[in-house]
Order: sequence, then structure tokens, then C-alpha cells
Amino acid sequence: MEEDCKPLLGEVRTGESYSHGGSTDSLDYKGKRPFYVEPRNIVEDVSQERVSAEAAVLNSRVHYYSKLTGSSDRLLSPPDHVIPRQEEIYIYSPLGTAFKVTGSDHSSKNPSIVTIFAIWNTMMGTSILSIPWGIKQAGFTLGVLILIFMGLLMLYCCYRVLKSPKAIPYIDTSDWEFPDVCKYYFGKFGQWSSLVFSLVSLIGAMVVYWVLMSNFLYNTGRFIYNYAHNINVSDTEFGTNGSEKVICEYRGTDPAHNDSLGSLYLGDSGNSTSDVALFDVWWNKTNTVPFYLIILLLPLLNFRSASFFARFTFLGTVSVVYLIILVTYKAARLGFHLEFHWLDSTLFYVPEFRVFFPQLTGVLTLAFFIHNCIITLMKNNRNQENNVRDLSVAYLLVGLTYLYVGVLIFAAFPAPPLYKDCIEANFLDNFSSSDWPPSSSTAAVGEVECLAQWHVIVVVKGSESVTHSLFLSDFQGTSETSHFMVVNGLDRIACISPRSSECRESCTDKTPCLLPGRE
Amino acid sequence: MSSTAMKKKVLLMGKSGSGKTSMRSIIFANYIARDTRRLGATSKCVCVKGVTISFDVEHSHVRFLGNLVLNLWDCGGQDTFMENYFTSQRDNIFRNVEVLIYVFDVESRELEKDMHYYQSCLEAILQNSPDAKVFCLVHKMDLVQEDQRDLIFKEREEDLRRLSRPLACTCFRTSIWDETLYKAWSSIVYQLIPNVQQLETNLRNFAQIIEADEVLLFERATFLVISHYQCKEQRDAHRFEKISNIIKQFKLSCSKLAASFQSMEVRNSNFAAFIDVFTSNTYVMVIMSDPSIPSAATLINIRNARKHFEKLERVDGPKHSLHMRMR
Repeated sequence: MEEDCKPLLGEVRTGESYSHGGSTDSLDYKGKRPFYVEPRNIVEDVSQERVSAEAAVLNSRVHYYSKLTGSSDRLLSPPDHVIPRQEEIYIYSPLGTAFKVTGSDHSSKNPSIVTIFAIWNTMMGTSILSIPWGIKQAGFTLGVLILIFMGLLMLYCCYRVLKSPKAIPYIDTSDWEFPDVCKYYFGKFGQWSSLVFSLVSLIGAMVVYWVLMSNFLYNTGRFIYNYAHNINVSDTEFGTNGSEKVICEYRGTDPAHNDSLGSLYLGDSGNSTSDVALFDVWWNKTNTVPFYLIILLLPLLNFRSASFFARFTFLGTVSVVYLIILVTYKAARLGFHLEFHWLDSTLFYVPEFRVFFPQLTGVLTLAFFIHNCIITLMKNNRNQENNVRDLSVAYLLVGLTYLYVGVLIFAAFPAPPLYKDCIEANFLDNFSSSDWPPSSSTAAVGEVECLAQWHVIVVVKGSESVTHSLFLSDFQGTSETSHFMVVNGLDRIACISPRSSECRESCTDKTPCLLPGRE
Repeated sequence: MSSTAMKKKVLLMGKSGSGKTSMRSIIFANYIARDTRRLGATSKCVCVKGVTISFDVEHSHVRFLGNLVLNLWDCGGQDTFMENYFTSQRDNIFRNVEVLIYVFDVESRELEKDMHYYQSCLEAILQNSPDAKVFCLVHKMDLVQEDQRDLIFKEREEDLRRLSRPLACTCFRTSIWDETLYKAWSSIVYQLIPNVQQLETNLRNFAQIIEADEVLLFERATFLVISHYQCKEQRDAHRFEKISNIIKQFKLSCSKLAASFQSMEVRNSNFAAFIDVFTSNTYVMVIMSDPSIPSAATLINIRNARKHFEKLERVDGPKHSLHMRMR
């Protein structure tokens, strides 16, 4: 029976005939709904009507309209209130029998646990690497309190965003995203401002990822150079002795000193010192490597399809899990070094309450940010009434993860030989590249994932949304050049939050997060 | 009125976002280019950045009913745009108009403004083309709950009739997910065909002579059924729309090969159907349920009938009393 039914289900056929190369279409079930198949009984000559006339003619319309637009264009795809209800849908075989589609429809709904995981996965970004630094900036107690408070605040805001489309009367808001809601209340200004704020956070994340990727590139180049020239760096790093090496990039007691340890090297001979210096000029973490990264990433702009790189986003989850294991291991080996000095600053420790706490709140706003696609993520929750509960659980998990990593790293940072102030904005920088377990490999895994997400978002979605919105589609038909222009126009653009690609994966709606939505 | 007169226009107007592009694409079987999608909604005439308002009108060079050209205009939402629009370009737009089709979005929250724009259009029509026919489509009715549709439509119809005086406007309620769009446009086209009643009478005679089960007359560009004759009750009330959709899809496929659709014959043991060019504005579809009649006979009949119907269609030709000839 299943074999008989398979060819009738038009998804396969229609999908193939419609594909125009946009391979993100595989996730768009809505555009290919053939809710009805004309029963043509080829065995008997029975003239009875098995389906209603309205369904038959609607099917004819749906097929016709789908020929008029591009495969990924949703302009003429049937809205939900037009398609017959699930209970009225049957599947027929040419041999005359039929069965009903039971259970959930084809764009499968997820159980709560999957939704919670999707939200957790999407929210976990590279902010996790900055939480210990943030706690250090705010002071330990204040940091923990702020983390909890910000988590609750962001949860409440997210809850409001989630509830906002439902509060609009008389209009079918089932496919609205948050910019559409803003447009409803505030007009064009609202739509534009919500888009701008979304983009700001995305651009911020892009910059972060660019920095991380250029760091990685720098370290790789440095490692290769050191290996090739037999240079040993471990003696020049200011850090602890012993098996668990933690380094402090500042020398002496001046934390404002930037790292230029690379300039101090023990080379093989005197000649190589000048070579080293030359190398340092051309391979500089802040001055040159970020530009080399442009050359490396430029070819990726030619990849129009998002799905190839989208498959790498699972590496994000892997790297977070690995990070947690790493953190636990390090904390177990290093032990706790905590002293509570409430308001005074000592040499090795930081006070519990510091005036730099806004830096932590800044980090946390991006860490807990998922508002631009929460509506779409929640759409696929099987039991919609549990949305708020699932959201709260997800935020709780995220908060606990951040708290865990932040507190453990902060507490385990060996304060007597080093200063708590040394905790870097990316705490992986505090661990030497030569120790084990390799913290650099976490960075490597994370970098591949960054790359994937960067490409997906910048090339495919980000530039599309930016060009269409900012340049008012005067660039129509020149998508390639417009993408190029956008990418080159923005200085040091890089990766993007994992959210958008993640929510694309987990939801069937393809363009939820970045595009300003349909008017 | 000579047939070499300037092309008359069909204006399809309405607020931006009211569904005109979708409607045009569906009725005329045009592919919708991606960039006119809602994202840049009024990309047609938006660039209101500087002093000049350059609006980019959609001229679909669709020859519709012989010598009519379809023009699609956005009555945009920006007020400055509207002022310029109605002063400098007004005469250009509203001259030589045969039909004005104005589309209202039923879920629009700015009813006053919509009516205001509509009245401005009507004034311009009165000045420049007072003989034009006016049709109002209340669109997107599928977004209204079923039990309220009639009520809301009646309300709107009354308002529009009142506002349109002294011009007479015909109102339809439409939705692209309903048969209402098809029926509305069929009615519109029906009223635009010259000598349509005569055509219908002759069509009946033609059908009876060739012993056809059903004969349909389609308009050429849109494949809307203008008139039909059936000798017995048919089961499917929506068959016209289905046929139109099927043929339009076929036309779309043909156009990808740069071929144009001319005629089609479908035959099985139960029936034979012929679709062929008929007059300069129409196509005909003949359905014979007697399989013993050879195709060639029917095709000859169609060819002979063609000449007579051509003469009927000519507006300035002398009226032939075709009844006597065909009998």
C-alpha cells in the first residue's frame, strides 16, 4: 500500500520540477503542499465523487499558481485557512482505496524537548567564552547576580515578543515575524528599527567571529612558523608552572598592557631574531591577519547555496559540549582559588562589586539574544500551550550553562601566581596552546562552525536582506554584485550569530529571521 | 471609430499591496519576477528620495480583447506621491481609458484614504475618458470570516456605488483562493466584448449544428470563458476555471520553449475535445461525446464557423444577419 501511495504524493515530483537551484527549498514544506490528489480510478468506471468540488478546484488553482512564481517564493502559496483541515485529507491510490492521514501533518511538529534543545543550541554562541571575563569585570558576586537578573529580564522580553503576534486582532498573523508586528504598531519606522536592531546584533556577532577567526589564523600561522624554526615559546609566556599551564598575557602588574609577547623570543641564533621581527611585522594579530582572512573567505561568497555549510552547524553543539567538559577538567585540576574582598581591590583578586559591571550586561544581552527568531522556532512546537514553559526551561538551561562555565573558570583561575585580572575576554586564550587537553582544538572546531555560519548568513541571507532593505531593490537582478558590494563595504565583517542558521534548520520557514517580513 | 485609433487602456489600479500584481499574474498567466515581491512592495514606484517622483509603471504589453493594453498603477500610500501623481501625470494616465478596474483590499485599515484615492481616480476619469466602464473589486475576501463576507461586501458595495455617482460602477468581491476572482474577471470581460449577445446566440446555433455536447468561447489572452453552450447538465460547476488553469499552465510551458499555443485535440473512447483559435479575440473549445464523428469533420466545421464569427466581432463592420446564413 505504501508503495502504491508514494508516487501520488506530489511533493517529490513537484519539488524536482520547481527547484531552481535554491537548495534551501528542501525545508520549505509549505510551498509544496499538495493537500489533495485527484482520484482517478483507473480500474473501475465509477463516477461517484470522492472529493468535494471545492477541493478539486482549489487543487487546480494551487497547481497553477505554483507555476507562476519561483520555487522559493511564497507569494502565491496557499495560506492555512484556505487548505482543508487535516481531518478532511485523504490519500488515494489509483486502485481505489484510500486512507486518512493521521497524526501531525508533514511539516512535522516537534516535541517540547526538541524545541528546548533547538533554543538552547541557537542561543549558545561564542558569548560563552566571554562570561568568565564578564564576571571578572563585574566582580564575582555582582556578576552572578547580574547574570541571573539579565537572564530573567531577557526571558521576559522574549516572552513578550512571543506573545505579540497573538495580541493583534482581526488579522491572520500566523506567518508573521517580529518585524511585522513592529510594522503593525509603529508603521514603517517600527519595521525599519526592528530590522536595524537585528542587524546591529548580527553585525556585532559578525565582528566577534571575524576576530576569532583571525585569531585562529594568527595562531595557526604562528604555530607553523615556530615549528619550522624550532622556537620554543613556553618560557616566554608569563604563566603558572606545572602541568596545568595557565598563562597571563599581561606582563608585570600593568593590566592595560597589550599583548606583544611575540616580540620576545628565544631563537636559535642571532640572525633569526631579525627574521622573527620581520615575521611579526607581516603576521600581526591585529594589523595584518584580519585582512588576509578576507582573501581566504572571498571565494566562499560564490557559494549561493546555504545548505552545504548549514550542515556544519552541528559542530557548534559539539564544541559547546567539549568546552563544558574541558572547563570541568581544568577546574578539577586547578582547584578553587576564591577570596571574597567586597569592595577593595587587592593585587591578585578583584572586588566583589565593581563599577565595570555594564560590560557584563553588554555581553549577556548578546548571550541571551534569540528574539529575532523565537516566534519561528516556537511555531513548530507540538503543544503550543507549552510555549512559555518551554521557553523558560530553555532560558534556565542556557543560564545554568553560562553560570557553570563562568563561575568555574573564574573560581579555578590560579590567583596567587597570576592575577584574576588576567582572565581574557576569550578565556581560551589563557590556556597555553601546548597543553593537553587541547583547548585549541575547541577553537578549531568552533572556527569551522563559525565559517559555516558566516557564509550562510552573510552571503545568502544577510546580504539579501541588507541589499533589499537598504537599497530598495534597485539592485534587482544583480544579486551577485550586490552581495559582493555589501560584503566589501562593511569593514571587517565576519560571522554571524548561530541563531539564524540554526532556526532555519529547525524550522520550516526559510526566511524568518533577517528579512523584514511581508507587508 | 476606426480600428487604427490609439490603443485603449485597461487600468488596473489600487493601493500598493492590494493584490494587483498577483491578480494580473494569475489572470494573464505571467510569471511573477522575484523582485516585485512584497519585500520591496512598491518597488514599482517607491523611490521617493529626491525631487522627481519617477514612477515605474507596469506596462504589461498584453493585448487584451484585440486592441486593449493593460496598465497597472499603484495608488501609493505616500501623500506627496499622490499629489504629484494627480497633477502632472494625470492626463497621461487617464486618457483613452476603456476600463478602470480598481482593487480594494478588504482588510485595509485606512478606509477613508482608500475612498479618497478612488474618488480622485474617478474625477480624473470623468474628465479624460467619461465613457470608461468602472469596476471595483473588493479583494482578499478569504481573510474575512465566511459568515461575515456577504455583510461586509454589501456595505462596501453601497459605499462605492454612492461615491461613484454619476458614473456607474460594478462591484465584485474576489479572492485568489476562490472561484470569485475568475467569475469577476469573466463578467468584466463579458461586458467588454462587442456584440456579445449575438455571439452567444450564434454559438448556440453552431453547437447544435455540429452536434456538440458543449462549446466554450475563451478570451484569447486570459482564457476566461466568455460564453458557453451546453446541451445537458454538467456535473462540475468549476470546470471552466479548471480548464483555464490547465491551458494557462500549458501556455506557460510553451512560452519557455518560445513556442505559442495554437490548438489541441484530446480524445478517448468517451469523448473528443478540440481547442482551437477562433477569432482574433477568442479561442473555442468543442466537446463531442459521440466518438464516431471523425476529428476532421469537426475541425472543418470549426474552420467554417470561424469566418462567420470574425465578421460578428468587427465593431465597425456592417451587421450581418447571421441567423439566416447559419440556418
